[in-house]
Amino acid sequence: MTEAMAMFRPPLARPGHMLFDGPLQDVSTVGQAQVGVVGMPSDWTHSSRLGTRFGPEALRKATSLLQSLRPEAGSFDPDTGRYTQPVADWLIDCGDAEVTPHDVDRTTQAIAAMTEVLTLKGAVPLALGGDHYNSFPACLGYSRGLAKRAPEARFGYIQIDGHLDFSDRLGAWGTHNHATNARRISELPNVEVSNMVWIGITGWVDGGDLALIEQQGGRVFSSADVHELGAAETVRQALAHAMKGCDELYLSIDIDAMDAGYLPGTGSIVHSGITPRQYYDLLDGLAEAPLGGLDIVEVSPPLDPSERTEFLAAEMLFRVLRQFRTQTVAAP
Amino acid sequence: MPLRSAPLPRMAGHLSFMRAQTKPIEALGAGDLAVLGVPFEDTSAPHAGQSLAARALRETSVYFGWHANPQFSHPIDIDARQVIQTDGLHEHLCDLGDLSAPTNERDSLSSLLAVAVKQIADRGACSVILGGSDPLFDAVQACFTAAQRVQLGGRYKEAPARFHIAPLSLGKSTPEAPDLPAQLEAFACWRKDERPLLVQFDLSAFETSLSGLCDQPRLGGCDLKTVAQWLSTIGQHPVSAIMLTGLNPNRPGMGVVKVGQRIMVTALLAFIYARLGFVMDPQGNPSSKDLALT
Repeated sequence: MTEAMAMFRPPLARPGHMLFDGPLQDVSTVGQAQVGVVGMPSDWTHSSRLGTRFGPEALRKATSLLQSLRPEAGSFDPDTGRYTQPVADWLIDCGDAEVTPHDVDRTTQAIAAMTEVLTLKGAVPLALGGDHYNSFPACLGYSRGLAKRAPEARFGYIQIDGHLDFSDRLGAWGTHNHATNARRISELPNVEVSNMVWIGITGWVDGGDLALIEQQGGRVFSSADVHELGAAETVRQALAHAMKGCDELYLSIDIDAMDAGYLPGTGSIVHSGITPRQYYDLLDGLAEAPLGGLDIVEVSPPLDPSERTEFLAAEMLFRVLRQFRTQTVAAP
Repeated sequence: MPLRSAPLPRMAGHLSFMRAQTKPIEALGAGDLAVLGVPFEDTSAPHAGQSLAARALRETSVYFGWHANPQFSHPIDIDARQVIQTDGLHEHLCDLGDLSAPTNERDSLSSLLAVAVKQIADRGACSVILGGSDPLFDAVQACFTAAQRVQLGGRYKEAPARFHIAPLSLGKSTPEAPDLPAQLEAFACWRKDERPLLVQFDLSAFETSLSGLCDQPRLGGCDLKTVAQWLSTIGQHPVSAIMLTGLNPNRPGMGVVKVGQRIMVTALLAFIYARLGFVMDPQGNPSSKDLALT
């Protein structure tokens, strides 16, 4: 055996990417207050332009690249005006849930099983879509885990999205698809519609769905509201509404709320949506909220050859996870 | 009233503009909007693919075919908090199909287009022409005597019967007025009700960062709200024909990015609704301010 062969310790590099270049670990190993990542590479519950099944991998790659460009020690954070330093061991990547195409129940239960364990252990599940339907199983598992960990606890819900996704059913796709996820979440036992808030809704929406939301006390901020009120005030009002009598917040980030001129790589594009700066300001505000779980969905790399969509989405995660990944330190 | 009793997936079924009914020209009536595709490949254009515009515009328009789909209730424009009337839309909106000329000859297609637009106008209907290139619009103009022409985007050309909105300046100082109210007032003064009105709506009216699918990039162009407001204003006049130009869904590497066709159709809705005289629900829903927490 040559010396070179004796020195060899495979693997030289880990194949593939993990979110934020974090460690790949089983859900059962997650620690309290850590973020546990669950991939949901499923897009067959989308009704038009597909490709979001490649979203989790694209987010992992983009966050890892951006992570490598961030300071490794204490530094000035221009977004917050504070000196911060990275936190160690704040996240584990639990890999992808087992997706069974064309079997919505199996896929739903597989995703929910992972986010339930993470929630039960006191961690924060972060689910990567996939089309927006997958937000329901991610939140379903969170809801089940929360019910076991704190039976009396309630959670508020904020969805940043270009669309309401509150239909009871969608034509040929039935009751479980990317237009019904918020409706299904509203039926979970530990959330009320009066604690549900939508931000960034744009263009035409179903009048029946909107009326149902508002009759039950839900709140909808259109993209025009964000333009008019400003992102910070929108978040203030949204959190006040969503957190009334609640202990935690579940946040669903659908990237398609951003104007398609900036972010074309998603299935259901909108125009006159919110800008990248407004989206980041919204997430900066929500980063201080008591996040119990979250998901980011509708990243569709095949629909954006420029690849800017996945980097815009990755930056969204950097913003909203600030409280987990950095800590404030004294200025030098 | 829905056209079908069963919901239809967006990518399925016969493709027509906004799921409108198809009709022969002879069946058109006064006040109808007749959609006509012109899949013409202008081989002098900087990029190949213009001929795909008509199909692309129809594909994206299906999203707005709510009147033809029973799975939805009435739509609401969430930004304006206004109910969008869709009942009766299909009675006046129809799709005639595409024109086709052998071997992609411009002259042949111009002749066909002129005949079709004339027949549509003779029945008191308005042509909504999808696709095509700038020179084809001259064939449309030749059908009418002393027509006035409004042009959104596109190349600037000095002509007394032409009203430019956000034209490509081509290196000269832009003639557009700085503020929208002044421009709208100027348009009202320019417009002569006794003369036919034609509209060319070019994708280059939009700011390029909102749409990368235009053959002629436009920095400093309009946003969607401004273009929609113009088309809504213009649609309140008896327009004889509107032609959508400048969209190239096949810009190199951008074939899957459909923002150009989407932004054009979204703006065109303002024209369609104004032309058909549909009014928004005056009562509407409570505004965001009414619901605001303090």
